[in-house]
Parts: sequence; C-alpha cells; structure tokens
Amino acid sequence: MESTILAEITGNIATVGYGLAAIGPGIGIGIVAGKTVEAMARQPELAGRLQVTMFLGIAFTELLAFIGVAVFFIFV
Amino acid sequence: MYNAANLLVPMATGDEFQAPGISEFLGLPALFFEGTPFEINRIILVRLLAVAVMLFLFWLALRKPSRVPGRGQSIAELALGFVQVQIADQILGKEMGRRYLPLLAGMFFGILAMNVTGVIPALNISGTALIGMPLLLGLVAYVVFIYAGIKQFGTAKFFKNSLFPAGVPWPIYILLAPIEFINIFIVRPISLALRLLLNMMVGHLLLVLCFGATSFFIFTAGGLLGLFGIGTLAFGFIFTFVEFAVFILQAYIFTLLTAVYVQQAVAEEH
Amino acid sequence: MPELVLAAEADTNPFLPAIYDITWSAVVFLVVMVFFVRFAIPRFRQILDDRAEAIEGNIAKADDAQRKAEAALEQYTTQLAEARAEAGRIRDAARVDGQAIVNELKEQAVIAAARVTATAKAQIEAERQAAVISLRSEVGTLAIDLASGVIGESLTDDEKASGIVDRFLADLEASEKVVR
Repeated sequence: MESTILAEITGNIATVGYGLAAIGPGIGIGIVAGKTVEAMARQPELAGRLQVTMFLGIAFTELLAFIGVAVFFIFV
Repeated sequence: MYNAANLLVPMATGDEFQAPGISEFLGLPALFFEGTPFEINRIILVRLLAVAVMLFLFWLALRKPSRVPGRGQSIAELALGFVQVQIADQILGKEMGRRYLPLLAGMFFGILAMNVTGVIPALNISGTALIGMPLLLGLVAYVVFIYAGIKQFGTAKFFKNSLFPAGVPWPIYILLAPIEFINIFIVRPISLALRLLLNMMVGHLLLVLCFGATSFFIFTAGGLLGLFGIGTLAFGFIFTFVEFAVFILQAYIFTLLTAVYVQQAVAEEH
Repeated sequence: MPELVLAAEADTNPFLPAIYDITWSAVVFLVVMVFFVRFAIPRFRQILDDRAEAIEGNIAKADDAQRKAEAALEQYTTQLAEARAEAGRIRDAARVDGQAIVNELKEQAVIAAARVTATAKAQIEAERQAAVISLRSEVGTLAIDLASGVIGESLTDDEKASGIVDRFLADLEASEKVVR
C-alpha cells in the first residue's frame, strides 16, 4: 500500500477561496464605476449625487471581497 | 495543524523570507498596564496618539475664531464644511443634518486620524486595525439609527416600517421580513465594522509585505536578487498612496453609511 | 515552528476584541465625541453664523448709507427746484408789480391831465358864458339906448324891446358869420 505522490501543494485552500471570492466583487465594482461614469457623462449636473451612490454601491460590493478575507482568517 | 500563523509565516527560520501575518495585529507585547483592562500595546498607543494629535490640531485651529480666518482655521472650516455639506446636509437634509453633524464629524475625523497613522513613518499601523474600534463605531451607528427611527415613529411603527416595507403583496413578507431583519439589524453594524477593520488590516499587510520583501531582497538575499528589491520598493510607494486614498475613502464611507442608515430609518417609506 | 504556532494560537481570531481594546476604543470615542459636541461643532457654527451676520450687517449698512445718500440727493434736488421756483416767482411778481406801478402812474398822469384839461375847459366855458351874458346885457342896453335915441321913442315897452333886441342880435350874428 504505497501511494505515489506525483505533485504536492502545501499551504491552505483558503487562499484559493479568497481568490474566488474576489472575482465577483471585482466585476461588480467595475460595473458600478463604469455605469456611474456613463450616467455622469449623460447628466453631469447630477455628478455629486451619482458619486455618493457609487461609493455606496462600491461599499456594499466590496464587502463581499472582505468577507472573503474574513473567512480566510476565521476558518483556517 | 494549520492556522493563519503558519500560512502567513511559511518559512520563519533564519535567512528565509518572513512574510507578515496576523501576528502584526494580535498578541502584541503590552507596553503599559499589562493584564489589566487598561493594557496598552503598540496599536492602542498609536490610536491614542492619533486622536490626541487630531484633537489638538482642531483645538489649535478653532481656538481663536476670527471673522477673517487664518490658515489653520480655513483648513478646519473646509474639513468640517466637507462633512457638513457632503455628508450631513446631502444625505439627511438641512434640519436633521444639523442635529447629527457633531456625531458624523466626530466619526469622520476620528476614523480618519486613526486610519492615517497607517502611512505615517514610525507609527505605520492604523489605530482602527484592531477590531475594538471599528466594532464600537459600528455599534454606535447601529444604536444611533435605531434610536433615530424609534424617535421618529415610535417602536412598533419603526419595526413595522423596517421589516414590512410598503407596496409589496403580503405573501412576499414571509420571505422579505426575515431578509430585512438580517440585513438591517445584523448585517449593517457588522459590515460597517468589518469593512473598516479589514481595509486597514489588508492595507497594512500589503505595505509590510512590500517593504519587508524589499528589505529581504536587498539586505538578506543580496546579489542579483537585490534588483527585485527595486520593484518591491516601487510597489511599496504606490501602495502607500493607494492606502492613503483608502484611508480617506473608508472614513468617508463609514460616515456616509451611518448617515444613510439614519436617513432610511426616519424616511417615511423605503 | 511549533512554538510560533502556539504563541499565535491564543489570539488567532482577529474578530474577537480583547477587553483592553474595547476599553480604549470607548475612551477614545468618548473623548472625540465630547470634543466635537462641546467644542468643535459649536465653534464652527459660531464662526459661520458670525460671518453670515457680519456680511448681512455690512450689506444692511451699505444699504442704509445708500438710502441716506439718495434721500439727501432728493432733498437737495427738491430744495434746488423750490429755490428756482421761488426765484422765478419773485421775478414774475416784481415784473408784475413794476408793470402795475407804471400803469398806475400812467393812469394817474392821464387822470391828472384830464382833470387839468377839464378844469381849463370849464373855466373857459364859464368865462365865455360870463362874457356872453355880460355882452348880451350890455349890448342889449346899448342897442336899445341907441335905438331909442334914433327913433326917439321910448321903447319902454319891454315886450317890444326884447323882441327888437333879439332880432338885432340875430341879424348881427348872421352878419358876423358872413364876415367870417
């Protein structure tokens, strides 16, 4: 019963988890920021309000990425 | 036996590179009052110092108010005006904004001062990179927006407004009410605290990684590997500026979200 | 490596606050809040209010000065106009008065002249009447005397006498006219 190890990875799978967790927020923040730029280009007079809304949207989206980081600390 | 420490400190022996880990924040040696509830370690000291300096600067700027402001007073007015106009008045409106301005300004400048220490040489860590402060601020925001809602509508109506938003057919409430409850009364304060804490922690780790790697490449490894050190040093500089922006942004977002939660709590419909 | 793991294990969860962390967070938060509630924000508002007041005060003052200047200008203008009107009126009055005086004097002169003329005429008329009367009586008497003498007859009868005289005088006058 001798198993042959062909390849070995040391470290923690949580690292991969964080990588996966960052995909969604990355796309999300891109969409939020891009759409805000679009909206500001259409209605420059609303730029202030749009920026505030953008930051809120980014804050919520970004939270997912940070939950990924938190999971990395908690479950290892 | 895997945990954060041996992941982030993979090769902690001798000449090998030692990556920064969670031990940057936890288990720091106490500097004063060890073992008491008033124990002070490095982060706490930074926190106290940052707030003391911030308050001293404000005191200096506003000590002798004059009709024609000097340089310090102008800057202080500009900073307070930013919170007043961009956060309090814009989100809460003139009347409510006036009532909540002291809280919001205190939050903003407190968080900002404690964040900024993360890129100040010799301090190099954010006062908010330890869970206590973000958690406390998150709880304050939580208490404040619930208080505002209850004061506006009374307890029953406030919870009804929050959990059963108008304009939805009743079967949806079976699904919606628990979601709203989790969102408003659990996720909000925790997300506020976690966002701030993790931004500061991750920012600090990135900077330590960059500068630690630079030190390793140039002084420990030496030789041709030293060339890598130039790259990591450049990244360190870039991330220093990025972090500075993040510090301001996080203070702004924390305050903004507090204001938005208060506004939603007192809004007739949401 | 094991000792490092053990050392880190005690505090491995970064989301559980230590007691001293909470204490100092609360202290810091309270200090910041007290500072902002008691000092920074009231001072900030006081500065803004003071400045707004000062600006408003200056504007009001400027308005006041403007209004005063306008009032003064108006008053001056009114007074000037009044003075001009007064002067004009006085000039007109003087002219009228002068005219009146001249007219009066003229009238008086005319009246005086008329009076002189009338007096002279009346006197002349009176003298002529007196002359006519005296002439008539004297010429009559003379003529009768003369005629009495000529005809030798007393013309005592008055009726006759006066008729004769009258006829005579008429003749005389007629001849006078012819001569003239």
